Amino acid sequence: MADPLNSMIGPVLIRLPPTPALSRVLRLAASGIAAMAGFTVDETEDIKIAVSEVWLALIEHGGGEPIEVQFSVQDHVFMVRGQAAFGGFDVDHPDLALCRTVLAGVCTQHGIELVDDHAQIWAAVAHASIT
Amino acid sequence: MSEMEDSQSLTVERDQAGVIVVHGDVDVAGGPILEAALLNGPSDSQVIIDLGDVFFIDSSGLRCLLGVSRRAHEQGTNVVLRHVGNEVLRLLQITGTTDQFSIEDGRG
Repeated sequence: MADPLNSMIGPVLIRLPPTPALSRVLRLAASGIAAMAGFTVDETEDIKIAVSEVWLALIEHGGGEPIEVQFSVQDHVFMVRGQAAFGGFDVDHPDLALCRTVLAGVCTQHGIELVDDHAQIWAAVAHASIT
Repeated sequence: MSEMEDSQSLTVERDQAGVIVVHGDVDVAGGPILEAALLNGPSDSQVIIDLGDVFFIDSSGLRCLLGVSRRAHEQGTNVVLRHVGNEVLRLLQITGTTDQFSIEDGRG
């Protein structure tokens, strides 16, 4: 039987309007993918927090533009990437400090960036066996 | 028990003892609902929030709780978090904000 953590999943791309209530939809999708990939319950909780932080930051700082969120699992790492086409994204906005702290606590790596006039936020949660 | 706010993701009630009872996810959708409910309460008394039915919180929810805590401290009182589950406790620990609240009981 194949080890689910050795499998590659995605990328799964979801494009959504910047509606706060859709945060739950993203967490549900992320949970399902994490379960398919064999992540533990605690790791899945961290993934849900990371997804929520990415969504929250783009809702509050993405200029009201539609948001694309991408999930993937590769090499035992769950990756979430979110982006919105908003050139005015302030990566150093003080309100993002708490978001950064939380991402640093639940992710192995993360980034909040302005790339080609797109607000981009990504977070990676690795399976415990490789951290 | 009178209902203060309602949505699909979060409801906030105040019980007969004045405890604010939260049900649902305190995220970017639920945080503002909780914040509005807390702002509508009396400002000069201790705030007790029952989080026993909260199984998810992110930094937007935490920001709301920290705002209430700050206002309470300015009034010379504090915020009590009751029936706190591991999900909430983990976020408080990650952010180093546990000492901003009085934590009475775990979820049990």
